[in-house]
Parts: sequence; C-alpha cells; structure tokens
Amino acid sequence: MLEIKNLHARIADEGTEIIRGLNLTVAKGEVAAIMGPNGSGKSTLSYILAGREDYEVTEGDILFNGESILEMDPAERAASGIFLAFQYPMEIPGVATMEFLKVAMNAQRKARGEEPLKVPELLKKVKDAAGTLQMDMGMLKRPLNVGFSGGEKKRAEILQMKLLEPKLCVMDETDSGLDIDALKIVSDGVNALRSPDRAIVVITHYQRLLEHIVPDSVHVLYKGQIIKSGDKSLALDLEANGYAGVIGEAA
Amino acid sequence: MPAVQETIDQVRQIDVDQYKYGFETEIAVDKAPKGLSEDIIRFISAKKNEPDWMLEWRLDAYRRWLTMEEPTWARVEYPKIDFQDIFYYAAPKNQSGPKSLDEVDPELLRTYEKLGIPLKEQEILAGVKKAAPAESVDDEDADAANDNVYKSGRVAVDAVFDSVSVVTTFKKELAKAGVIFCSISEAIREHPELVKKYLGSVVPVSDNFYATLNSAVFTDGSFVFVPKGVRCPMELSTYFRINEKGTGQFERTLIIAEEGAYVSYLEGCTAPQRDENQLHAAVVELIALDDAEIKYSTVQNWYPGDAEGKGGVYNFVTKRGDCRGDRSTISWTQVETGSAITWKYPSCILRGDDSQGNFYSIAVSNGYQQIDSGTKMLHLGKNTKSRIISKGIAAGFSQNTYRGQVSAHRKATNARNFTNCDSLLIGDNCGAHTVPYMEAKNSTAQFEHEATTSKISEDQKFYVMQRGIPEEEAIALIVNGFVKDVIQELPMEFAVEAQKLIGISLEGSVG
Amino acid sequence: MNIQTPIKNTPAELALIDAFGERLALLPGDGEVMLKRDAAIEAIKAGLPTRRIESWHYTDLRRLLTKVPAFDAGLEAKPVAPLIEGSPVLTVLNGVAGKPVAIEGVTATPVAEKLGDGTYAPALGAQGADDAIGALNSAFVADGWLLEIADGTVLEKPVEVQNVQAGGQVHTRFAAKIGNGVTATIVERQTGSGDALVSSVDNVVIGDGSEVTWLIVQEQPDTATHFGQFNAWIGKDAKFTLFVMNAGGKLVRQEIRVVTKGEGSDFQLRGVDLLHGDTHTDVTMVLDHAVPNTGSREIIRNVVTGKARGVFQGRINVHQVAQKTDAKMACNTLLLSDDGEFSTKPELEIFADDVACGHGATVTEIDHAHLFYLMARGIDEKTARGLLVKAFVAEVIEELEDEALVEALEARLDGWFAEHG
Repeated sequence: MLEIKNLHARIADEGTEIIRGLNLTVAKGEVAAIMGPNGSGKSTLSYILAGREDYEVTEGDILFNGESILEMDPAERAASGIFLAFQYPMEIPGVATMEFLKVAMNAQRKARGEEPLKVPELLKKVKDAAGTLQMDMGMLKRPLNVGFSGGEKKRAEILQMKLLEPKLCVMDETDSGLDIDALKIVSDGVNALRSPDRAIVVITHYQRLLEHIVPDSVHVLYKGQIIKSGDKSLALDLEANGYAGVIGEAA
Repeated sequence: MPAVQETIDQVRQIDVDQYKYGFETEIAVDKAPKGLSEDIIRFISAKKNEPDWMLEWRLDAYRRWLTMEEPTWARVEYPKIDFQDIFYYAAPKNQSGPKSLDEVDPELLRTYEKLGIPLKEQEILAGVKKAAPAESVDDEDADAANDNVYKSGRVAVDAVFDSVSVVTTFKKELAKAGVIFCSISEAIREHPELVKKYLGSVVPVSDNFYATLNSAVFTDGSFVFVPKGVRCPMELSTYFRINEKGTGQFERTLIIAEEGAYVSYLEGCTAPQRDENQLHAAVVELIALDDAEIKYSTVQNWYPGDAEGKGGVYNFVTKRGDCRGDRSTISWTQVETGSAITWKYPSCILRGDDSQGNFYSIAVSNGYQQIDSGTKMLHLGKNTKSRIISKGIAAGFSQNTYRGQVSAHRKATNARNFTNCDSLLIGDNCGAHTVPYMEAKNSTAQFEHEATTSKISEDQKFYVMQRGIPEEEAIALIVNGFVKDVIQELPMEFAVEAQKLIGISLEGSVG
Repeated sequence: MNIQTPIKNTPAELALIDAFGERLALLPGDGEVMLKRDAAIEAIKAGLPTRRIESWHYTDLRRLLTKVPAFDAGLEAKPVAPLIEGSPVLTVLNGVAGKPVAIEGVTATPVAEKLGDGTYAPALGAQGADDAIGALNSAFVADGWLLEIADGTVLEKPVEVQNVQAGGQVHTRFAAKIGNGVTATIVERQTGSGDALVSSVDNVVIGDGSEVTWLIVQEQPDTATHFGQFNAWIGKDAKFTLFVMNAGGKLVRQEIRVVTKGEGSDFQLRGVDLLHGDTHTDVTMVLDHAVPNTGSREIIRNVVTGKARGVFQGRINVHQVAQKTDAKMACNTLLLSDDGEFSTKPELEIFADDVACGHGATVTEIDHAHLFYLMARGIDEKTARGLLVKAFVAEVIEELEDEALVEALEARLDGWFAEHG
C-alpha cells in the first residue's frame, strides 16, 4: 500500500537534509511501528507523507497504492486516503469541532464524487464515533482543539480518523502527553480501525504504546534512514537495551 | 505566506464575474441635471414636496459645505472628486415615493428579486423557512435557535433605488404596534415634529465634509420610530441599490427608540459594475432614550472595483448613535467587503448613565480596495461601558486600516472599555494598520486595548488541508473562525450570508 | 478659499526667530552648517506643529510653547554626581562641553569642534515637515559630545554624558558611532536648575553584533521645557536596549526614532514616566523594522498624579521586505488623579505578511484587590498604594541586567515618590 523508495528530503528554507535514503514498505492490513531516538527524522517523515511544503523531496519517491503522491497537495493526499494524527494538533479558533468535521468529511466526499452528508446522518455518525471514544457532545461545540487538554486533543484526532475512514493512518507520537487511561481509550480507538484494507504506521519513541497497539513490523529510524527492521520483538529489545546497540550494528 | 507568482496571477484574475451583483437594471429615470447648486437643492426638495423648513435646512448645510474642505487624515488615496460631475438626483420614472407593492414597476421588483431581497410580503412569509440555514451543525439546536431569532419569520424591507425609496413592506402591520417605518421623505411630510426634533441632533449639519454634503442633498433613506415600551415585532431592513450611472447616493437614516423600546435594523447595499467611481455619502443617526436598545447591522457589498482597481464605490459614511438615555444600548455590527474606498466610523456617544456602546466589525479588503474604518466611543455618562471587536483581513494589493477612538470625559466615572482588534494579512502586497486613540481624563476609567497582526499560520493551514479540505476552503474556514466573534453578533440569516460573502471576497487571494 | 495666507507667528515663534538673528554670529560652523541652520529656522518660521499634524496630535506645540527664554552665557551650571559611582563623565554645562575624559576604546570629541570644521553638517536638518525638534536643534545647536567607540570595545563602567542647564536656552547633541562587537552602556542625564528651554538630539549608530544599553534620565525642574530626540540605527545581530525615564519638566517631548538596519537585530525599549503637577509629557516613538528577521519589545509604564497630562504615541512600521518581524508593544498607565489625563496611540503599520505583531494598552487605577490584600496584612492605605505604584514601574527597571543600574534608578524612583508620591 505504501512504498517509500530511496527517499531524500531536506528543509526547504535552509537545505538541511533530514531524510537520507529511506526505504520502507507497508502492506495493506499491516501495522508498522517506526521507532527511533529524538532527532532521527520521525516527525519529518510523517509531515513529508502528508505533504507539508516546508520539506523538499530531492530524490526518491513515495508510492501510495502504486502511484506517486509527491505532486499532490495535502488536501489531495488526504482525499486519497492518507490521514496524519498530529503529535501537536493545531488549535483552530472560532471553528466549532462539529463544523470542522462536517467540512472535512464533505470535502473528502466531494473529492471522491460523493454527495455531501445530510445533517442528521452526519450527527449520528459523529455521535456514535464520539461515544466509543468517551467524548461528550459538549466538547464538539467548542472550537477545534482550543483549550482542549492533551488527552482531549488526541481523542479528537482519533475521532477525525474514525470519521474520515482513511486507508493509511500515520500516527505521530500519539502517546505523548497521555495518561494511562487516555492511552487505553486512544489505543482501543486505533485497534478498532485495524482492518485488512487499512495500513497503520505508528511513529513512537517508546515501546509503551506498542503494548496497546501491537505492531506487525518494527523499523528503527536513525539519521534519516531505516537501519533495522524486525517484528514486535525488536521493540522489546530496544526497550531493554536502548538504541545504542542497534545504531552500533548499523555503523 | 510567500508571494508566489501564482498568488499574484490569481489575484489578477479576480475579475468582475465574482461580483454577482454587478448587473444593471434598464429602467426609465428622472434625473436632476448634473452638478450641485442651490437650484439643484431646490429641485430635490421640490421633487420630494418638502416643507419650507426642510429646504432651508438643506440650503444652510449647502452654504456651510461650501466653506469646508475634504478630510485628508484617513489612510486612503483617490483622485480629487469633481462634485460638479455627479448627478444628485435620479429616480425611477413615475416613482416619486413609495407605493403599494402592486404599483411598483415590475422591473424593479425583478431587480430586488435578483438581489435576493424579497419585497412581496407573501413571499417573505413563505420564503423564510427555506432561507433558514439548516446546513449549520454548529449546534444541534440550530433550527430551534433560528426560530428564536426569527420568531415571526419576517423582515420588513425599505428598498431604496438610486435616490428614492421604492417601497416599504409591512408598514401596516408595524403601525399596529405603533412602529413607524417609512422612507425619510415620507417622514418629513407625515411626521415633521419627529424629524424636526431629531434630525441633525446626533450628526450636526456641519459635522464633517461628507455629512454636511449629505445634509444638503440627501434624497432618501429610512425612518424608524419605536415608541415607548415597544419591542419592534420584526427585523427592519433597508436595501440600498445604486443603479444609475454617475449618480451619487446620499441617503439619510434616522432611528429613534423611545424609553424601553427595542429595534434591530439591517442594512444591505450593492451597485452595478462601472468603470468610473460612484460616490455614496450616507448619514445615519440613532437615538436611544432611557432603557432603549438599538442594534444596527450592516452588510456592505458595494461594487469594489475590478482587478486593476478601476471603478468601485467611494463609501464615505457618517454613522453615529446617541445613547441619550440612562441604561440605553447601541450596537453596531458591520461586515464590510465591498467598495473601492471605505471611510466609515460608526460611533456611540455614551451620554446616559450606565449606557453601553458596542462595535463589532469585520473588514475584508482584496484587490485594490482601501478601507479606513473603526469607531469612536465617547464616554460622557457615569458607569458607561463600551466594547470594540474589530477583525481586519487584507489580501491582494489592498490597504486595511482600523482607526478608533475611546475617550473618557472627566465626569465619566467608572467608564469601561475593552478593545480587541486583530488583523490578518494574506500575501505580502497588502497592508494592515491599526491606529487606536485612547484618551482617559478620569482616574476611575479602565481601558484595555489589545491588537495583533499576523498571517494565517502555515501550521493551521497544513492541519486543515490534511483533513482533505482544499486550500481556498481551508483559508476561508480559518478566516471564518477568525471573525466568529463578530459573526455571532449578526442576526442568524445575515450571519450565513456574511460568511459566504467573506469567502467570495477572498477568492483568488491565495496561491 | 484654498489660498495659503502667510502664517502669523506666535510670540514664542517670533522669540525663536529673533534669538536666531542674535545668536547667529556666535554659533559654530559656516558653509554647509550655516545653510542647514538657515533651512531649519525657515521651518520654525512656517509655524510650530499644531494638533492637526498627526505626530503632534496630543501636543499642540504652537499652543503649548508660550515661553522662550533668552540665551544667557553668564549662567553657571554644575555637573551632577554620576548615576553609577566612578563612571567617566562627559559634561555639557549651560550648553558648553566640558573637558574631555580619557576612556579606553572611546574617542570623545566636542560637537562644537565638529560643527566648526563642518564635518557635522550632514547630521543637521529636520527629518520631515513634522520634525520641529530636529529643526529647532539644528538651528541652534552649539555643542555636545561625539563618542566613537572602537570595534570590540567592552566598557566595564557606563560612560555618562550630562546636559546640565542653568536657565536660558540650551541646544545640545550627543552622537555615538559604536563599532562592531562592542559591549557598552551609556547613561545620559538631562537635568539642571533653571527656567530653561532645552533641546537635545542623539544620533546613535550601532555596529554589527554589538550589545548596547542607553539610558536617558530626564529630571528637569518643573519650570523647564525639554525637547529630546533619540535616533538610532541598529546593525546586524546587534542588541540595543533603550531605557527612558521622565521624572520632571513643565513641557516635555521625547521622541524616539529607531531603525533596525541589519538582519537579526533586536530593539528593546523600556520607559518610565512619572508625571506630577501641572505638566505635559509626550513620549513619541517611531520604530521601523526595515529588514527581515528583527525583533522588538517596548514596555512603557506611566504614573499620572496631580494635573499632569501624559501622552504616549508608538508606531511600529513593518516594511514590505521585513518578513519574520516579531514586534510587541505595551503601554500601561496608572491614572491616580481625577485631574490627570493620559492619551495613548499605539499604532501598527504593517506591509509584510509573515509577521507577529501586537500591542496592548491599558489605563487603570490601582487594583483594588491588591490594595485590599496589602491592607488586610495591616499596611495602611497610603503605604499600600505607594508600594503598588512603585512596584508597577519598578518592574520595568528591574528588567535591566546591571544590578548597579537597577539600584541607582530605584533610588531616583524613591526620590520622586518621596517628593511627589
């Protein structure tokens, strides 16, 4: 479903190369974890997948369902089924969460040539999804992410993910800032979305999240490259022995 | 946002097509000869069958105007106006004043229909449900909320076409409640005692260059009188349309709310596309007596000129409210998207003790538009409060200035003001300026002012687009969030219209 | 009706024009300097600014300037003790520069010399039609100090310049050419004992990468008219802090004009205005962010007592090229008297889109909750008020990094409160 081939990318303004020849393949139905120390390029990778303009791809390609997405803008990528759950979701003052969900869902439907959702239908979908994430409807009347706690923001991300039904979910440090109860709710939300048609890329610094969202594959990102891949035992190994060993091996 | 070539190209492409009100109505008109003189003023006064005192008032204003000079302090630039090159009176033929609907020229009715202004009372009754913004899902109870706002589901309209009011709807029903809603020309004839008492009492004849010109040549406008203790049973509105070429529009509006009365008044404006500039110099006076409340909302969408800045309306307007009575409230809400040049400062004189003035404004400029707008809050009475929320959005090559004054007089103990004015810049060929004047002469006054200028954050835009919302829509969504505090001050039906209008005004402004 | 009739000069304007005629022969400089002086007096003849001139909106100079004293070379002014003990001091006493003092890395030259040899001519003249202070000073300036600070100089102690008047008219300049990589603090004192008309113009160029703090401490007597103008141009990656304290003067206008000339430069303004009696004090700042990636913060705190009238106008211009400008301005006023007035006009003029700019302004009385809290701890109302007012301005002073400066300024503050608080 997702193929990243020899990807090189740099910060557009200043030219610092962050991703240096990254290769990664994630199949339909797979849950892939990307782990790595701070500054290895994890968040950058998620931004590049979603099409952030601040990064410039200088070499290589990203194929999504066999087609290159490099020329697509963030909205087009989203409409094609790529969803990024942000590490730090943005506050959008004055735009009620419900309103935002409506606009986003209908924009994607429009891009796919579908009719916009009717209000009662929309309300029902949102209510159902919010219920499973233990979010109350009062929160949905508030401006998106404005004044939300860390946990509420992450839940709102998962809510959007549920409603937008993406094919590829990229989760950037979703566990950061969550207490154990919130982590459980969020993980359950993600697990509920696991399906043979959907791939999930979980980017995380710690193994903790992977106890709740058990990955099919684990990849170690270091200095802009995948230096080691393995199954979920690799994550446990990293937790026990740190990154030093793996980095040493690769060097 | 970097000024990529695309942005510039797209801004260039904003062509006249986007101004959907730019059509012209073919209709026979009566015109005064071009230019301004005492004879022209006599002509206008005679056309309107005005009493002598009104003519004298006009002539007095004209003589004062001759000694005045155009103000130059605003941050707007335009070639010198030739006041002799303007028609000061144009009226659809055989239309010397408002008639019953059956008598109105069908061509005129069609014009207002095209503009989305229903004039037929039956249609209004039937049509409102349809127009209600059922799309909004902000609130599950949105429909219920709509019903609250428009319990009666009706809006009375005074339609002003060029220099005259062509029709005023729901007059009879309003009269039952004791509310007078008619054209100012009619009020001068039918209710001279009220007009004499209040006209020019808020904006004196020689207040400023344009107000004085208006006092000399005003042709029509609306008059509202809500007697003591009456809550006006429906929204009142005036719809202004400049149609005739080379014609200035000088309307005069006077609204009086007696003790404990309440009225909400809406105003909308459009004009055809023309290569030359058209002048619109209105005066609006509001008077609120003890415990009265007046809400005045404007959606100003005069023709802004084309992509090169050619044509467009010069909107030089004096609007002022007088909180004459204790505990009275006046609120101005404006959405300014049109006009080549806007020069407008709806103000409140907080004369009564415990009175309150509000100013909520959204000013959107694109293309080569220039806006210099804001408010004055003059605190004279004790325990007076004012609140100013201004949101400016500049795009294209436009200049957008907030200019406001808050002052507390020596006797205005416990005067309170809160001002928030935020500007958003889209592209780097436009300018956003903030010029607040704060003057405290009382140690118990408390003024708070805050202002910010920024661009739409790239982070926000990326986040919104990542959810599949295309760039222009993403910008419109963020901008609508930015202006939310003001939008929610508008009556519901206007709010939806205003949001759309802001979106349209910014089309092509992003790259 | 548009025919401009020649203006009828006010008595103050006439006094200045006459004084110029009388002083002319005594003023240093000829040639270009004299041409500049002539042009400057023409500007005065055209009339002092009125409130119709936007930059003088709250200080109608034409109306407010009523007394123009005559020059009096016979008066004697004495230097004052420096703010920081042991600082080298360069004086201008009754308009005449004193003896030079040797300071390592600093060359100090009396401005009279520079006027005399004509090298100072380019610095004279008004900057625009509304620059009355520039015009007045250019016409009459007779002396002052030019400091040239060599690249890489690190000054251990502040250098103090003093403009001490004894009455009559005094027109002074303090100029500084500060090299690259300099660390320096300059203290400027404006004080005296007479019924004087003082104009003092500073032109300061700050080199790349320098860190400079400049303090203006204005403590004129209640009888003096004081016109100050501070111009600065800040170089690349330089950090410049200007601290201005006004605690005296009958009619005071202090202008601050700063341009960020080099990328990465930073400007900090801290102002304290202590106003009392029947006085008028106007601080007007124009800041130009003229290149990308520069920052500024301005914090002004005003205390108004008696019948004093205070004004702060602050305009931040962000030029079209000045992307990534980060500019914030705050002006807070405590209005403590029913007869006092404060007017403020914080302006933003922004032509670049990728900026974060803002300003805040408040006018309030003392926070009653704070007052109540202190009184609940047994502090009497007068003392409690005094504590709160002092804390309000001391906050700004305490931002200065140099402990000795903070102490010295707080001592000036205490002095003012003891006399007027």
